Amino acid sequence: MRVRVDTDLCQGHAVCKEEAPAVFAVDDRTNKVVVLAERPDESLRAEVRRAVKYCPTRAIRLEEA
Amino acid sequence: MTAPAQTDTPNAAPAAPTPRGLAPPRLRGEWPLLGHLQELRRRPIELFERVRRECGEIGEMNFAGNRVVLLSGEEAQEAFFRGTDEQLDQAAAYPFMTPIFGRGVLFDATPEQRKQGLRNQSLRDSFMRGHAEVIARETQRMMDSLGDRGELDLLDFFSELTLYTSSACLVGKEFREELTPEYFRVFYELEKGTDAIAYVNPYLPLPAFRTRDRARRRLVELLSAVFERRASAPKEKRELFDVLLSLKLPDGSPRFSVDQVTGMFISMMFAGHHTTSGTAAWTLIELLRQPEFGARVVGELDALYADGREVSYQALREIPELEGAIKEALRLHPPLILLMRKVVYDFHYKGWTVPAGKLVAVSPALSNRMPECFREPDRYDPDRYKEGREEDARLFAWIPFGAGRHRCVGAAFAMMQLKAIFSALLRGYAFELAQPPATYRNDHSKMVVQLAKPCVARYRRR
Repeated sequence: MRVRVDTDLCQGHAVCKEEAPAVFAVDDRTNKVVVLAERPDESLRAEVRRAVKYCPTRAIRLEEA
Repeated sequence: MTAPAQTDTPNAAPAAPTPRGLAPPRLRGEWPLLGHLQELRRRPIELFERVRRECGEIGEMNFAGNRVVLLSGEEAQEAFFRGTDEQLDQAAAYPFMTPIFGRGVLFDATPEQRKQGLRNQSLRDSFMRGHAEVIARETQRMMDSLGDRGELDLLDFFSELTLYTSSACLVGKEFREELTPEYFRVFYELEKGTDAIAYVNPYLPLPAFRTRDRARRRLVELLSAVFERRASAPKEKRELFDVLLSLKLPDGSPRFSVDQVTGMFISMMFAGHHTTSGTAAWTLIELLRQPEFGARVVGELDALYADGREVSYQALREIPELEGAIKEALRLHPPLILLMRKVVYDFHYKGWTVPAGKLVAVSPALSNRMPECFREPDRYDPDRYKEGREEDARLFAWIPFGAGRHRCVGAAFAMMQLKAIFSALLRGYAFELAQPPATYRNDHSKMVVQLAKPCVARYRRR
């Protein structure tokens, strides 16, 4: 799986960071999401899916590639 | 991380000008001087529908000499929402707000000033649990004053409640205890002061503007007394505004005046007050108009809370029937019906160009009912958000909160708040409409949409 973020949409709510701290961080300077692992380990799938689902601005996508 | 390749888009680089395209078609039916302003003040949504019908996805309106280009349809709206601050500026697009916020507070500050301004950390996810507890408690306090049965004015009830919840969550619990019902009445008058005639001049000697200015002066008066009392508060009880007022410039004079802090309070409340209050009222009205959905929501809440769990716990989790009901109230009755930006350098869309100086706009009221995107758009159907349909996933069509970088930062907070309010309210009381269903409507004569009075509901304790 591959994580894609749309930084035009991100507002730094940091929900993704709460759901999947190994995959997402929020840059305090830009207040935007930073992807720590673009191709996260399969064991993190459930967390990443929650991050996608609960992102308040729907800025995260999960691609199967 | 993959950022969108912005340099490929025609709206990215002011240094390398794109050749000018066609001017957007102008909407017919302009009056001398006022243009379409009277239509905007009387039937704004019909005006926006007329632009789409007669001009298509891009069409120019005239508000007393201010040229406003309305973009509609998913594609044109995406171009609007992806615009950068450098190109599309929120400042100057809302002249009717400046006298309300006061000078130097929000929309008349420069982008630089705003970037240095307060970034509201209190809306971050990690604060939501505490907010949920506050909201549950405030709702309970309002319910304690209701008694066994009676009638309530939906506008007043939800305005008062959301004033307390917003101020307690965003400013502080100490500050909230200072507030009385007079505050929500003052806010009502401020909100009533957003007449679009402000496009001619926001300081015309009109009754609505005089009432607005009187209300603002009264608010400064009320808050001055509050801050004076609080100046002697012990350090550990100091909150946001107490801190701001204690800041000093290098020469020792105060960094912010009470007038400016009042403006900050108004601007913080404005975003989350009439919007949430109106949505709460419409959610209840729609659930009472369509009792089968009302019964589903009440049944869902009864089942979820049967084990005695806390509202503050569940409001942060999924409540699908209730969420669908709220989203559908938002879609049909969005609190903001026109979102605007000032064009800083030429804005290009397909073959058209909107030159610098004009305004561009998108209408949530128009977009949320586009038949291309929503099946039976005028029907209240909370099931359209269920798995498989998820019509709110059309990010640039379902836009009660706007979209893109300026999407309402309080959207998650607002949803949680509404879930907490109804979790308490609908389990404590049964409601019914006290008027014929079709008589509940919005007053669109001001830019801030309000429920029109009368808007009464009956309640009895369950």
